[in-house]
Amino acid sequence: MLHVKKLYKSYRTGSKSYPVLKGIDLTVASGEFVAVMGPSGSGKSTLLNCISCYIPFDEGTITLGSQELKGLDEDSLARIRNEKLGFVFQDFMLLDGLTVRENILVPRIIQGHVGKDAEELAGKLLSLFGIDGIADKYPADISGGERQRTAVARSLINQPLLILADEPTGNLDSKSSQTVIESFENARKQLGATIFMVTHDSFAASFCDRVILLKDGCVWKNLEKKEDASAFHDRLLSEIRVMRKE
Amino acid sequence: MKTTMTMNFLEKKLAEAGRKQAALYLFCNFVSLLLITAYAAMMFSPTVLEVLPTGGDSRKQMIAIFVLALFGCVVFTIYASALFFRKKSRQLGVLMALGASRKKLAPGLYKEVLILSGISSFAGVLAGLPFVYLLWGFFRLFIVESSQMTLRLDYRFLFLSIAFFFLVVTSSCFTAYRYLRRTNIMDVVHEEHKNEPVKELGRWCGPVGILLTFAGAACGYLAPEAYMKLFSALPGIWINLLYVPVFAGLYMIMLHTVIHGWRAHRKAPYKNIIARSMMKFQGRQTVNNLLICTVLIAGASFALFYLPTLGVNSYLEVRSRSFDYYYHYRLDQTQVPAQSDIAAMAAGYGMGIKDFRESPYASLALDGYTYVFDDDNENSYHIDHIDLAAEGKFFSASAYRTLTGEPVTVADGTYYAVTNADETNLPFLDSHATFLTNMVTRQTLPVSFAGYVHYDMLADSFGYYILSDRDYDAICQGLTEDWMGSAAFFNADGEDSPAFASDFFYTFVNSFGPECEHTVQFSRVVQTYFEEAGEEYFYWNDPMFQISYDRPDDSSFRAWWSYMPKIRLLDQEDFLKTYAVFLMMFLFISIICILAASVISYTRCMTIALNNRYIFDDLKRLGASPAFLVQEIRNQCGNVFRLPALIGMSIIYLLYALILYVNDGKITAGEAGGMAVSLLLLLCIGGLFFSLYRYTVKQMAKQLNISVPKRKH
Repeated sequence: MLHVKKLYKSYRTGSKSYPVLKGIDLTVASGEFVAVMGPSGSGKSTLLNCISCYIPFDEGTITLGSQELKGLDEDSLARIRNEKLGFVFQDFMLLDGLTVRENILVPRIIQGHVGKDAEELAGKLLSLFGIDGIADKYPADISGGERQRTAVARSLINQPLLILADEPTGNLDSKSSQTVIESFENARKQLGATIFMVTHDSFAASFCDRVILLKDGCVWKNLEKKEDASAFHDRLLSEIRVMRKE
Repeated sequence: MKTTMTMNFLEKKLAEAGRKQAALYLFCNFVSLLLITAYAAMMFSPTVLEVLPTGGDSRKQMIAIFVLALFGCVVFTIYASALFFRKKSRQLGVLMALGASRKKLAPGLYKEVLILSGISSFAGVLAGLPFVYLLWGFFRLFIVESSQMTLRLDYRFLFLSIAFFFLVVTSSCFTAYRYLRRTNIMDVVHEEHKNEPVKELGRWCGPVGILLTFAGAACGYLAPEAYMKLFSALPGIWINLLYVPVFAGLYMIMLHTVIHGWRAHRKAPYKNIIARSMMKFQGRQTVNNLLICTVLIAGASFALFYLPTLGVNSYLEVRSRSFDYYYHYRLDQTQVPAQSDIAAMAAGYGMGIKDFRESPYASLALDGYTYVFDDDNENSYHIDHIDLAAEGKFFSASAYRTLTGEPVTVADGTYYAVTNADETNLPFLDSHATFLTNMVTRQTLPVSFAGYVHYDMLADSFGYYILSDRDYDAICQGLTEDWMGSAAFFNADGEDSPAFASDFFYTFVNSFGPECEHTVQFSRVVQTYFEEAGEEYFYWNDPMFQISYDRPDDSSFRAWWSYMPKIRLLDQEDFLKTYAVFLMMFLFISIICILAASVISYTRCMTIALNNRYIFDDLKRLGASPAFLVQEIRNQCGNVFRLPALIGMSIIYLLYALILYVNDGKITAGEAGGMAVSLLLLLCIGGLFFSLYRYTVKQMAKQLNISVPKRKH
């Protein structure tokens, strides 16, 4: 599904260059729910932004399905973002002037056709994530958890190959975080979604099939979940402690 | 409903959601276009141009202030468009992140920008005209009305407005293009919260800024004269570039204020730390805004100084006159009313005249030095001695005594020049003549300058001199009546009558022939010199010197006619009328600049509130009281209003004092009075800005949902 090979990215400030990603290699299989964790500055968000085609990368390859992303023009990248990727952001990034239903349909509106199928899918997503009661409300009138579930629904409206989530629980309380993670699980189970999530939240990560630990721009460890969520959470915490000590 | 969901639908809804930002953008464009259109309309108006002579200082000042106002409004509209896009960038960024390509976004964005900038600018241009008529009508209704005040417009001013209109629309589209071209989508999304720190300079930048400002002002003002002395040539327009250090200096002062502040923070390093940091990290736009407002307020103040300066000078001069009436005329003007005619005219108004005195004078040529411009380069000149350099009105010592009652002893072979107590007309008097010439016989009389005598009523722009009786008789031999004149004083017996004063003035003007229809800049002596040299006399080609007997109430006629009488009552009551267009135009300019500065400052404060909402929300969460939050707002807002007002007004006031001083090497009583009234006017402008500041603080607090606590008395 997603193959990242030898990915390098650095930022420039004046004449100085700061390397952030130093040859990342990773793969995400179809239907997998993968989390990326790591300390601040480890390159998690930069990795996600490169895969999202939000920022250009320096070296390496990113392959989504059978499509190599490097060298694509702006229009092709936009099409990939719209059709093959779904996004969930820490600060929701809903459009204030649109209702919940309209926000969910934005990726379809960008495509240029909101047919009956899209409306039906939107209705299905609204009820799947328990937000059908607020479909005609505006983002300013709903809670953080509801906003994020709206964002998850929006990310699924085009039935993308991969959902990219950047700290989706970062701005939420524990109860709302729980409902958002449940939304991801539902999306995976009922719609077969593949999810790649960057997070600081070890509790949220413990629901994933796999957690990739990043340190100083490199993959430090790949942890597969073989136990239940609670035990995986404990293992995750102990690995993080070890990583910090190193 | 749902099947109509298209990009159009989406753009429409998003535009609706961003209507607050759009309204601010519309308002900024509208006000800028309105002010510039109004200013341009007046600047091209024949009503104004006929009063402000071509090449005159007042017209240059009107154009210079227009350039400043235009600069301010251009920067302001660019700022408004940047502000609109900062807010718009989040919507754009989200759509880009969700897969909208540039091609998809471009039509909607350009359409929105074109509609907003086009409509607001067009409305501004349209509203400019009614604004001009309303404001000018207000002046005519409540301040002064005269025939000259009839507003006539030359619609060529619309070219300027249309050029500005296209500039606004083009710059908005260019900003839209720049946003769409950006490749880092995350930058677009987070643009709204991006800081705009200014380049930090050391604490030296404030003092250096002050030095640069004063040095630039002095340099710009004194440079033309220094250039003429050094190179014997007239400087080109480029010499005004020497004022540029003033702007650099002002920028550094603003920068210092925003970054460091002027108070020492060592004792209380945490005082106002939040306000200072907010200013510092959004400093680029703040500094630009402060600079523009400073320049606009300086322009407004300078324009306003005309009224008190002229008014106080005129008031003091009229009050100090020892006679109610003074007039002079050429003896060949035989229709000029004699004493008996004047007395009869006065009797017709039920009044009499008294203290009538009259003495003859002779118009003679003085030798001296003059600028001779080179044929191959119009700006280069050399200074030559010529026999017919200037014309002077010469009394004999006894005639002077008869007229003024002041005894004067003049030695043969010498002459005195007549000035007033403040000696303000010295530039018009010749103190270097070595001989005088009778323009009829060309007989000459060697003389030397003996000094000045003081008599206020005879000090005018066309000098009076005194010779000994013997010299006067000798040089005047063979002089014809057209080179002879007479000067007279008289008082009203009892209370003067405005009707008589007016009748006397118009009768006096109508008694003159066309040979006297010229201003004090005209000299028959100099004309003779040019004729004899086979050259054209510049006077007749200069529109600045055009006057007509048909328009005796025109300010140019009353200010410059060679034989303009001094009539106390008329000069007191008609002062405002005489200079109405001149004074009202500068009042108009002042109002335009103050309005522009007020709108810019207000908008800046409101955007500070919009951009820093999250900081105020965080402070609230940290337990900050409304009083603390309002104090932070006051600190922000205070800098935006206080600095430009303080700096703009002080610098222009000091420059004004410098100009008055450099003119004649002293500050006269009239000038000091004018400066005092100007200071009062500045305090009024300060009060106006203070009121606006208080209003803005309330509006900012409202915007941030903070209740303003009542101050304890």
